[in-house]
Amino acid sequence: MSKILKRYVPFMQAGVQSLIIYRMNFIGFVIGGLIYCFVMFYLWKAVFESSGGGEFFGFSMADMVVYLFLSNTTTQLTYSSVSTTIGEEIRDGSISMRLLKPVNTDLSYMFSELGEVMIKVAVLLLPIIIGLEIYRFRTTGVIMFNAVNFILYLLSVVLAYIISFRVNLCFGFIAFYVKNLWGINILKNSLIGFLSGSLIPLAFMPSTLRVCLEYMPFASMAYTPVMIYMGKYEVNEMLFRLGLQAVWAVLLYGFSKLIWLGAIKKLSVQGG
Amino acid sequence: MIYAEHLRKEFKKTVKDPGLKGSFKALFNPKKEIVVAADDITFHVPEGEILGFIGPNGAGKSTVIKMLTGILTPTSGECRINGKIPTNDRKKYVKEIGAVFGQRTQLWWDLPLQETYHVLKEIYEVDDYKFKKRMDFLNEVLELEKFIKSPVRTLSLGQRMRADIAASMLHSPKVLFLDEPTIGLDVVVKDNIRQAIMKINKEEKTTVVLTTHDISDIELLCDRIVMIDKGKNVYDGSLHKLRENYGQTRELVFETDNSSKLTEEQFRKGLNLKKSDLVVEREQNSFKVKFNSKKIPVGEMLGYTLSLTKVKDISVKDADIEEIIRSLYRQGGASDE
Ligand SMILES: Nc1ncnc2c1ncn2[C@@H]1O[C@H](COP(=O)(O)OP(=O)(O)OP(=O)(O)O)[C@@H](O)[C@H]1O
Ligand SMILES: [Mg+2]
Repeated sequence: MSKILKRYVPFMQAGVQSLIIYRMNFIGFVIGGLIYCFVMFYLWKAVFESSGGGEFFGFSMADMVVYLFLSNTTTQLTYSSVSTTIGEEIRDGSISMRLLKPVNTDLSYMFSELGEVMIKVAVLLLPIIIGLEIYRFRTTGVIMFNAVNFILYLLSVVLAYIISFRVNLCFGFIAFYVKNLWGINILKNSLIGFLSGSLIPLAFMPSTLRVCLEYMPFASMAYTPVMIYMGKYEVNEMLFRLGLQAVWAVLLYGFSKLIWLGAIKKLSVQGG
Repeated sequence: MIYAEHLRKEFKKTVKDPGLKGSFKALFNPKKEIVVAADDITFHVPEGEILGFIGPNGAGKSTVIKMLTGILTPTSGECRINGKIPTNDRKKYVKEIGAVFGQRTQLWWDLPLQETYHVLKEIYEVDDYKFKKRMDFLNEVLELEKFIKSPVRTLSLGQRMRADIAASMLHSPKVLFLDEPTIGLDVVVKDNIRQAIMKINKEEKTTVVLTTHDISDIELLCDRIVMIDKGKNVYDGSLHKLRENYGQTRELVFETDNSSKLTEEQFRKGLNLKKSDLVVEREQNSFKVKFNSKKIPVGEMLGYTLSLTKVKDISVKDADIEEIIRSLYRQGGASDE
């Protein structure tokens, strides 16, 4: 295990290294996310006020704030740019360099991203959690932080990341067939934004649509962890949701492996 | 060691008519065209040999190298290197080979070079002792020291190429594939790289397949050449044999005062030679006669010329390999029309 890790950790280091070099991108990404959260915050505030305060589909305004900030943060944590990366590497042919290394292609992509994820946990997730708990304490007067929920949230985020990574990997492999992924990526990102509930909580959607979406892997990518953190699930339901995530993770893992086998035969490295 | 059997690779290409209308048409009704980059390429390389894999631009060399390294899956045909089919177990296979593609780097763009080598050490599971010895060797031959602390993206082309060559040799691969390893380099760096290739081949019996457009690479390094053109085998054999088979061309340079009186026409008629067997190039005070020495012996040609004109000085040139290859490339091009 440590031997395997040793072989992939360099990919992580390289990822972190380039993150540091292009840190303005990263900072911009984080700040953009926060601005988006505040915009959404004022939007929902208006909605809540116009509906006469109180609760909205079982969400209080305080809940809504937690949901907004945490789902945005979670989306950023589980965000995987692997489909863009693969698209780029195919377009400029540098994917051949990855194929020449005696490593698992998908794991090497994953580790390249993991460094970034860890940095996001440190500089984004922890401050947001602390900020949210202070906010909740000030509005309700009680400490609402629940350590068990937090740990389960982290577990759910790990599963969510695996799902997100695998979904993006599958999308990335489409580049083996169409060569230019740009349009497909935009479509995918907005689709995932809607389907994962990071745009509008799934709880607010018509019930049939909601049930459908809740069973899809996209819901697991942000909605499930956040709902777990907020303690919106009973124990049974929570176990079911985590189990569903695990099932999706395994299914998507197998599916991406399968696509890979077909895609690699189609690869036509461009240039040189 | 290396067996390439009837390798064929087709690429699908969407062709589009020029202009906006063409783009629009291509969007809805893309016309597919099949490009055959390699067509029935067959050759073998025994262990420890340095093979020069040459051919004009677009011949399909890089495509074949990509199939041999497991990056591309052949459309048909098979290659077997060291008993392994590259695409079958890519991860295991690439551990035994090293590859350099001159036009691009396989190093981490943002990592300092030194760290890159440590990364490769882990990936290829090279033990500490071997790694140190290897680095010393590579440092010495390729002179990496001056820039080993710099990030790869700041290296000059020559430095980067040396760094890439070193990276490909780090894990003592059994086979090295080098696609234009000397492209765009100055004489000194070229020499460094050739030294490294030569040494590793001598000391470890590393099999090397090398593509290049630099004839001196071939003359200095290669035991044998395989030449391809338009995706097909053209020549397979030693340099020596190439010279024997195709090297009948001789060059005589005559220095005169008044060369203008002699024409190619005159030579050809007088000696009864075809156009392909004799070429005369004239300069101000000299003229050059290139001819097929199988059709007319050098002595006879000399005698004939001397009988026609007064000559101040004469020099004879052997067919050089570059000339032979040039004429072979040209023939390949001509046979197509
Ligand atoms: N991905 C691709 N899609 C379509 N055609 C391709 C692709 N890659 C190569 N080709 C075509 O295949 C042919 C062979 O290309 P290749 O790169 O193997 O040539 P080469 O012998 O390496 O040439 P050079 O000496 O210029 O490097 C060329 O005609 C090229 O246009
Ligand atoms: Mg090439």
